[in-house]
Amino acid sequence: MDHEQAAELFSDFIDGTLAPRDKAALEQHLSACIQCRTSLESLRRAVGSLGKLKHGAPPRFLPDIQQQIYQRSRGRFFSRRWKLFGRIPFEWVSLATIIAMLIYYIAMLHGTPGGVKPAP
Amino acid sequence: MEGALRLGRLAKVRARRGPYVMSVAERLLIGRLKDRDEDAFGEIVRLYGDKVFNLVYRMLGSRAEADDIAQEVFITVFKTIDTFRGEAKFSTWLLRIAANQSKNRLKYLARRATDPEGLEGGGALDVAAAPHGLPLSGQVDGPDVLAEAAELDGLLQRGIAALDEEQRLLVILRDVEEMSYEEIGEVTGLPEGTIKSRLHRARMALKEWLDRHTR
Repeated sequence: MDHEQAAELFSDFIDGTLAPRDKAALEQHLSACIQCRTSLESLRRAVGSLGKLKHGAPPRFLPDIQQQIYQRSRGRFFSRRWKLFGRIPFEWVSLATIIAMLIYYIAMLHGTPGGVKPAP
Repeated sequence: MEGALRLGRLAKVRARRGPYVMSVAERLLIGRLKDRDEDAFGEIVRLYGDKVFNLVYRMLGSRAEADDIAQEVFITVFKTIDTFRGEAKFSTWLLRIAANQSKNRLKYLARRATDPEGLEGGGALDVAAAPHGLPLSGQVDGPDVLAEAAELDGLLQRGIAALDEEQRLLVILRDVEEMSYEEIGEVTGLPEGTIKSRLHRARMALKEWLDRHTR
């Protein structure tokens, strides 16, 4: 095994996915080659450091997204919630309005006008 | 054309892997999201926000750009959740959207950089200015440790930015996000063998870049 062939196996060696025969051959080469040992260590350090690159989302990430959706949906989603009752769905408001109008219509239809006495 | 090729490759990856079975909790959450349940959406952002932001930030190298694009990813999820059919994990579907939007943004930024009338400084790598940003871990380190970590973070980010966009994505998915080859296949639509060989080249390129810049 030469340096180039050894280097081809580094990535799998670090991941632990190298076939046993290739692993044995690489280990044999590494035991005799300081150049490849140094190169492998350098690669292992670089790959290991990448795992520490964690960067959380900003604190206002969720409210900003909700605001964007609210604006783009023209208030259909993520509108402000009522503090006591929670958000009242639009469908319920429509239904309540229709029922109230029906009751008013029926009352007007069957009710007698008050304050007017029948003629004697 | 590229989209069709990717879909074809994804179908092959899925055929090899077999059907994915969603957990009950995942199924319920996605069901609520499909009903446009706003609390479920909040839960999704809380669960995956950091992961998506980190991926986009590492791809673009700019916090301001990452903030915009990561927000756009979740807006896309809210709009297109009905197209999610549960053939893959929700997280890989989400990261595929994040990867595609990051690549599109990189292309746009590259075009703008060559456009003499483009805005100045947009999308510039900002890790050197404030390399550590908002760390995920809650531990408090001493100033020396923080400075060293910030320096390493900035150096690695510049090394990642020196890779081409496909190598960058593979390194981020495997070594930063620590995903399995199967999950990377779901995100990229590439077969395992291709991922391994391209990842190897990407890691070697990054190592050589770091070797050159740390001597």
